Formats: sequence, C-alpha cells, structure tokens
Amino acid sequence: MPIQITADLRENIRNFEELFSDCADIKKRNIKVGKNLQEECYIAYIEVALSSVDWKDSAVGKFLGKLRSLPEEELAAYVRDNVEDISDSQPFLTIEDAAQAMLTGDVLFFLNGYNKALKIPDKGYPSRGVYETESEKVIRGSNEGFSESVKLNTALIRKRLRSPHVKVKESFAGRRTHTNVDLVYMKDLIHPGMLEEIEKRLGEFEIDGTLDSGIIEQLTEKRKYSPFPQFQTTQRPDRAAMAILEGRIVLLSDNSPVALILPATYNTYIQTSDDYYSRWEIASFTRALRYLASFMAMVFPGLYLAMTNFHTQIVPTALLLSLAAARQGVPFPAMVEVILMEIAFELLREAGVRLPGANGNTIGIVGGLIIGQAAVDANIVSPIVVIVVALTALCSFAVPNEEFATAFRILKFMFIFLCGSLGLFGFLTGLLVVLIHLSHLESFGIPYLAPFVGADLNGYQDERDTFLRLPLNFLKKRPVYTREGARTKLKFNQQKEKQKK
Amino acid sequence: MFADNWKISLRQIKRLFILDIFGISSLILPGIFSTLTGADGMLCLILGTVGGIVLLWLIGANLKYMETDYYNYIKDTAGQLLGDVIMVFYFLYFVTLCGFVLNQATMLVLTWLLPDGSWLGVCILLILLAVYGSMRGIEGRARVYEIIFWFLGIPLLIMLFLAVQEVDTARWTPIVSSGGAQILGGTLAVLIFTLPLTALLFLKPFCTKPQQLASCGRRALFTVMVLNALIYLILVGVFGQNTMGILKRPIITLMGMVNLPGGFFTRQDVLMTAVWFFALFALMNTGIFQGTLILKQLCQQCKGSWTLWITAVLSFFIAKGFFEYNFLTEVFEIYQSHVALPGMFLILLILLFLHWVKEGKTAKQGGNH
Repeated sequence: MPIQITADLRENIRNFEELFSDCADIKKRNIKVGKNLQEECYIAYIEVALSSVDWKDSAVGKFLGKLRSLPEEELAAYVRDNVEDISDSQPFLTIEDAAQAMLTGDVLFFLNGYNKALKIPDKGYPSRGVYETESEKVIRGSNEGFSESVKLNTALIRKRLRSPHVKVKESFAGRRTHTNVDLVYMKDLIHPGMLEEIEKRLGEFEIDGTLDSGIIEQLTEKRKYSPFPQFQTTQRPDRAAMAILEGRIVLLSDNSPVALILPATYNTYIQTSDDYYSRWEIASFTRALRYLASFMAMVFPGLYLAMTNFHTQIVPTALLLSLAAARQGVPFPAMVEVILMEIAFELLREAGVRLPGANGNTIGIVGGLIIGQAAVDANIVSPIVVIVVALTALCSFAVPNEEFATAFRILKFMFIFLCGSLGLFGFLTGLLVVLIHLSHLESFGIPYLAPFVGADLNGYQDERDTFLRLPLNFLKKRPVYTREGARTKLKFNQQKEKQKK
Repeated sequence: MFADNWKISLRQIKRLFILDIFGISSLILPGIFSTLTGADGMLCLILGTVGGIVLLWLIGANLKYMETDYYNYIKDTAGQLLGDVIMVFYFLYFVTLCGFVLNQATMLVLTWLLPDGSWLGVCILLILLAVYGSMRGIEGRARVYEIIFWFLGIPLLIMLFLAVQEVDTARWTPIVSSGGAQILGGTLAVLIFTLPLTALLFLKPFCTKPQQLASCGRRALFTVMVLNALIYLILVGVFGQNTMGILKRPIITLMGMVNLPGGFFTRQDVLMTAVWFFALFALMNTGIFQGTLILKQLCQQCKGSWTLWITAVLSFFIAKGFFEYNFLTEVFEIYQSHVALPGMFLILLILLFLHWVKEGKTAKQGGNH
C-alpha cells in the first residue's frame, strides 16, 4: 500500500527516512525557508547527483533562495502555483513515487503545509559525457558516441533529427533497477505494428535488473538459439538517427552506451554510416568487400581444409607443392593444426580485450608476431595456416558490427569441423544449413535476408543499397520497413517543377 | 507484419521451379538424347517444351476455377473418394520423385565430392537437411532459392560461355536423322522432367498473385529449356554424340574441362558440382514439401511434424531401394512414362471436363428456374 504524502512535514520525513534508513549515499537535509526562516522544508538527494546547494549555482539553490525571500504563509501557494509545472519539476503524491524519482538522480523537496513532494532536476548522476566511439570508427562523419546517460543519448539523436515527428516513448525495465528504457522513432515513418510489437515484448518479462541494453536484447529476441543477433547495435548517434529516418525504432537503455535498432537485416549489419557520406564508388567497393569478408570470416579455414585434404585437384600443382612443403614436419593433422591456431587466436583476442589499452596492443604484438613465429619455427604449425588464420581474423574485423561478426566467428568452427571431415560436401552442407537458418530468421517480421529476398515488396528499390551502394540520387525510397506511403526520401526540385508544368 | 503470412512472390516461385527442373534435367537429359536421338535432342527439347506448355495450360485452366486449394477443388469437382485417390496419386509421385532425386544427389556427392564416403551417411545427412529446409514452411524454402539462384546461375553462365570456344559445330549434324520413335522417346523424357510443374496446382493458397501462377510456370519452363538447349549444343559440340553417350554426367565432366583465364583453378568440376547439388536439393525439398502438404490434407488428424517425418522416412527408403536394386530405376522410368505422365494430363483433363459439366448443369438449372 503506497504511503500518501501529507501536509505534515514531520510525518513525511519519518516515512521517507524509514524507507531510506542505512543509505549513507542519500543526503537528507532540513532547511529553514521563508522571510524570517520560520518555516521548515526538507530536501533529499543522492550525494553526487546535486551540484551545489549554493544559491547562485544550482536550480535547487536558486529555488531555495527564492523561498527565503517569501513570507512563510505564501510558501506552499507559491510552490503549488509557480513551481509544480515548470520545466522538469514534477510533483508526487506518494512516498514511493517520490523516492523513485529521487533515484533517477534528481532532488526531492518536501515543504511543511504542502501535501506533495517535488522533484527538482539538477546535475543528475555522473556520466562520461559525449565521447568518441571506441568501435564503429568512420573515416568521414561525426565522431560523437553515445554515453551511459539515456537522456544525453536521446538528446544526441534529437540534435540530429529536429522534427516534432520524432517521438520518445519512455518505459522502465528491471524490478529493482528501474532502468529507463526509451524507444525513439519517427511517428509518421514507422510501420504500424512495429512499436506495439516491441512494447509487447518489453512487457513480456519481469527481471530483477537490466544493467545494459544487451539484457533487453536477449530477452526480447524471438529466435534465442540463433547465433545471429536480431537487433542491430550501435554506439553512434548518427547511425541511430539514420535508422530512425528509415522508419526503424531505436531502443536506448539507461547506463548503456549501446543503442538497439530494430528491425535488423543482414544488409543493415554490413552498412556503415560513412557508406552514405563517401562517394558511391568507394562506398560500393568497401560494401562489397565487407560482404565478402563476412562470408570468408566464416568459411576460409574450412575451405582451406577441404581443398588441401580432399580436393587437391582444384589447386594448381605449383601451389599444392608449396603447401605440402610448408606442412613438412608438422606433427598434427591439418584440422587439429587449424583448430589449435584458431583457439590461440581467440585467446589472444580475448586477452587483448580484457587488458588495458597499452597492454592490449602488446598482447597483439606478442601473440601475433612472437608466438606465431615461434610456433612456425618449432614446426607446431605451418606458415600457411598462420596466414589462413590471420586472413580470417582480418575478415572478421572488417565486419562493422561486433555482435554480427561474432556469429561468423562461432560458425567458423562448424565449417572447420564439417570441411575437415567431409571436404567440399561438408562445406556445401554447412552453407545450406546457414542459408536455411538465415532464410527462416526474421527480425520483427522482416526477413533477415531482405532485400535479397522479398525485394518485390518495395518495388525492387531496396536492392540498390546492398552489395553496391548506387549514387544517392538513385536511392529515392526508404527501405521496406518504413510505413507504406511514406517511403519517398529524396525528391529533386526540378522533377517537382516538371510535374507542376 | 511482412513475413509469416505463408505467401510467396511470383519471382520466388519462378526461381524455385527453375532450380527444380533444371538440376535433374540438365544432369540426365543429355545422356538420354545421346543414346536415343543424337543431335535431334534439340527437336525433342522443342517438342517437350510444347508439351510442357500444354500441361501448363491445363494447370492454368484448373487454377482459374480453383476457389481455395487444390484438394478442395478436386473434392468439389470429382467427389471425396476420387479426390482422395487423386491426392494419393500425387503423394506417390512426389515421394518417389524425392526418393529418386535423393539417390541421385547422394551418388553425385559420392562420385564428385566424397568418393570414400558412405552412401548411408551422405543420404541421411541430405534427408535431414531437406527436413530442416521444409520445417518452417514455404516462405523459408522460397527464400533459400531466391538467394542461391544467382549464386549458381552466374558461375554456370560464365562456365558455359567459356566452354563455347571448345565447340566444334560440325558435331551438331546430322539433324533429323533419328526415327519417329526415338524422337517421341526423347520428347517424352523432356516432358517427364516438366512434371514437377504440377506442384503449381498446390501453390495457389501460398502465392501473392495466384492468377499469374501458370504464366510464372511458363517463364520457368522457357528459362530451363533455353538453358538445356544451350548445354546440349555445347556438350554435343565439345564431346560428340558417341563420347557423350559413355559419360556418366557429361555436364559436370564439361565443367572440369573448361579452362579459366589466369589458370588458377585447374579442375572446376568439383566446385561446379555445387550448382547441381543445390538444384537437386531444391527438387528433393519440393518433393518433401509437397508430400507433407498432401499427407496433411489427407490425414487431418496428424498434428505437428509427423507428416513431414513420414514423408522423409518414406523418401529415404525409396532412395535406398534405388541404390540397392538397379531394376527399380527401370521400374521408376516405366512408372514415370506410363503412369505419372499420362496420369497428370488425364487428371487435369478430367477435372476440367467435370467442372465444365458441373457448370453447365448449374447454368441449365439456373435457366430452368
């Protein structure tokens, strides 16, 4: 049963402090206000969330300063009439609601004779501010990245999309964490049903806490056993804004610099922001390269095994001889050799990620150069396998989305096993399994392989932005996930004039 | 939203049938022509295509009168008992076809990709793959073929283009030198390979534009027959009729002989086997899917994926039969030419006739009233 806030300040303080007993980080202060300092008020806040109660500096300080200039009998009326609805301040009727508001990082204000608690925004929780993204680097374009504050992140999107059609729907996830989850979308562009679907999925679970968007991602995915992610992730506000302009929905979770974008397709994972900032020739070239990289990251070691162990007739004799010479003296079968090197590489990658920046680089050098060279010198692996593993790693790094690239890294081991035991038949079988799986996979009703499949749904327009990114003047339509009737994104004024004539 | 509506587009259907018919026909037809008709195989292809168009006309005419699905149409037109008999006929056709193709695909793998492999292991793996491919319905299946269509088509066209330089046109002659019986035999063989097009009849509930199903089938048929004609001309031009007669799969042998510019890959036959592997898999998948669909309609109490597993297991044992007893292949050929082929035409004709009679009666009764 929620405890109602009354006009009796003593009672409110007692109830509030009972709720927050043994919370050393919560600061509670009784302050005298009114012209003669005869009336009492009470403020509570999280220690670091308030900049200063000094009159000059903070909103709270200025507010208290104003209250000290008013006669005691007018204080409650002043707060009710002038402060309640101004800016971000918000009144609450129960102690629990008020406490929850304070836990979002704001200051809570109680006044004797005033039967509500007022939330006054101030500095809020400490956050990193806007920093450059660690991943998803671009050659051209903004370098701003999302931070851990959901409010800051929505503002970064709003900064790029200054339209009243951009809506931010707020909800909370986590029974104990009350994590703020915002859905950002363009009202007139999203497909009907998409918003309801994500809201339905968000309402389908109740969890203790969501400390990162990754938890929400996993709980709202439909195909939980698929290695492929069904949400696109980004740390770039410009990527998120671009997605919103395509009629997609961006999910931001407090305390997470990673935004989730829905729906997602194979094609969207391969696209990067600067694909659209650079000229179409180079954008198309790098796009095609990334597609190739995503495929090779999965199959390259397997294909090497199939060709050298089963189908040597494909390889030219000279190359075959040099491959055989390189393997001379290696005690392991080729499959074991490849698996050993792949595991060693994955270990290096994991160690590099966990270690601090400078040490991480050292691991790369020690692992890549010294251990690799030593392994070849000791005849544990052949130099060709080192090249194959290194090229595979390069391919996986070229995939712009980490979660998406991880799927290929995992599937790589399936291909190593299949090709190592069944040769090209294993390769074809593995390819078919992946293809069937991807064909069945959907993200919020959109086929994962769109627009390579179902391209007719949008008049074959989406195919212009796949392997190749055609010049921007060809990309006049938004993708298929945009609401029908709102798919035109580019018009030329000359055309308009011609139409008028 | 968009997907999960159990509807597929005409483009998907067209690609599905191109792969279905192309895979098996391009593997087997050149061998049949070389023994039966020689260079007159072209004539058989043309006549077979005409026969295929007649079949598609019959399919289209029946589709026009179909209100919901094929099974209900047959029941409404021919009655419950005859309807069930016809459905059993179709079930047997698709399951035996699936078993035959499964054996062919397994043999293809064992000949070109895994000579030391076990028939049982490869066959089980393939049938499990086909089951996995059919599990989530027609949408997923159609998407697979929509994707692999160009991945297979482009390398094939490049290889055929490169093979053209090896062609000796003198080997294309003499023409019209075979007897009528041989030409008829070759034509029937072509026609038999067009029979999977009858699956169009079952696709009405799954198609976004059902009124265009027959024309979509025609486009698929033309594409396949043009490809087959091209392949046949190249094969005859490169190998000559006598050599072609003794080759197991002339088209794959041809792929191994083509010299790629740059000379990096020396033997492409292994790589190009992928084209036929995927195409045969497509037809196998069609067999399993159609078999399951028919079984589901015949046995409406069967819930879950039982029908799929029953079809798969039956197909496996049929394939095993083909592998172990050579005479079964001959029986299958007789079944195809003497039962399946006339049966398909007859069923469609009878249904059409019965429908017209029924319509005439209704019109008469309407007039009397």
